[in-house]
Amino acid sequence: MGAGGGAAQPVPRAAPAQPRGGMMAMYFFFSDKTVLLFDFWNVHSPAGMALSVVVILLLAALYEVIKVTKGKLLHRTVLSVPTSISQESLEERDRASVNSERGQQNSTQKRWFLYHVSQTLLHVIQVVIGYLVMLAVMSYNTWIFLGVIVGSTVGYYVAYPLLKVR
Amino acid sequence: MSTFPSFSKAPIIPHAIFDTSAVKMSLGHHADHMNHTMSSATPSSVHPPEHNHPTTSPEHNHEGGMMMMMDMTFHFSYKNVPLLFSGLVINTPGEMAGAFVAVFFLAMFYEGLKIARECLLRKSQVSIRYNSMPVPGPNGTILMETHKTVGQQMLSFPHLLQTVLHIIQVVVSYFLMLIFMTYNGYLCIAVAAGAGTGYFFFSWKKAVVVDITEHCH
Repeated sequence: MGAGGGAAQPVPRAAPAQPRGGMMAMYFFFSDKTVLLFDFWNVHSPAGMALSVVVILLLAALYEVIKVTKGKLLHRTVLSVPTSISQESLEERDRASVNSERGQQNSTQKRWFLYHVSQTLLHVIQVVIGYLVMLAVMSYNTWIFLGVIVGSTVGYYVAYPLLKVR
Repeated sequence: MSTFPSFSKAPIIPHAIFDTSAVKMSLGHHADHMNHTMSSATPSSVHPPEHNHPTTSPEHNHEGGMMMMMDMTFHFSYKNVPLLFSGLVINTPGEMAGAFVAVFFLAMFYEGLKIARECLLRKSQVSIRYNSMPVPGPNGTILMETHKTVGQQMLSFPHLLQTVLHIIQVVVSYFLMLIFMTYNGYLCIAVAAGAGTGYFFFSWKKAVVVDITEHCH
């Protein structure tokens, strides 16, 4: 169809639509054909593009949510732990504390460790999602780009007040 | 110039095969072999001399690779992976292992640097606050000293140190981004794992520093 319909018309569409042929597009373009991140994520229809935009939007929103969650978790870690470790435990150790208090201290340390591990996991997820979103933007597809912007906006708008209030 | 057509053709053909083959992901090594045989077989009708050196074709590949071979999806391969600089091309599993470790530590270093900078900033802020505390008491003129001028602030040692560290941080973060942009699965995992490990080992410092400043208020 494209080949028969005349050479002049399909050329501007065909050129950006195949950045996967080794040549990547270096400017933004509107198209419903692209390959995102994985070679099985091959979009070639408006519906597929809409779905991809939604997925990318959610990914960008998730990034914002994770960012805020991590900050909140850090705050909670700081609030929960230092009062028991930095002040009490140092004093208690000098006095050779009772077993029950030591057990309590153990539990707070365990909780701190759990917080720390979950924070680390969140950080890894944040880093990975951040890079994935960057790579998706690098496809130079304008729909995807708009999806990222909207997702980031919505994520920030929703997550920030939602997680700060509690 | 005479070699140009020969290797402008060479990268295109394997890439076409690469893209259409569905087994590429897990069988990167195998697929590469297939490419060699295919690329040396297919153009043999057009370019007979290429059939004579199948061993030199990878070098041709990565020389042309800088120009146009740019994978746009994730893949796991350790052949012919360019890494930031023109001299750095990964071709063996051992080199990939080395690059993995290097990237891992680079990502870890990045996390450490980020937290160290934050830590230094807090510390300098705290020390400024402490220095400025007693001063406003005796005289009104000494207020000048508590609020340093912009020039003094710019020339102060902590700020210069922060600036230098910031340069390093920006450079390293761009390097990590470019490494991730190679779409190589191993290197991407190295970046993520390094970031996670670095965060795990350094972020307790962050918590402690936040704690100190909270108490200082």
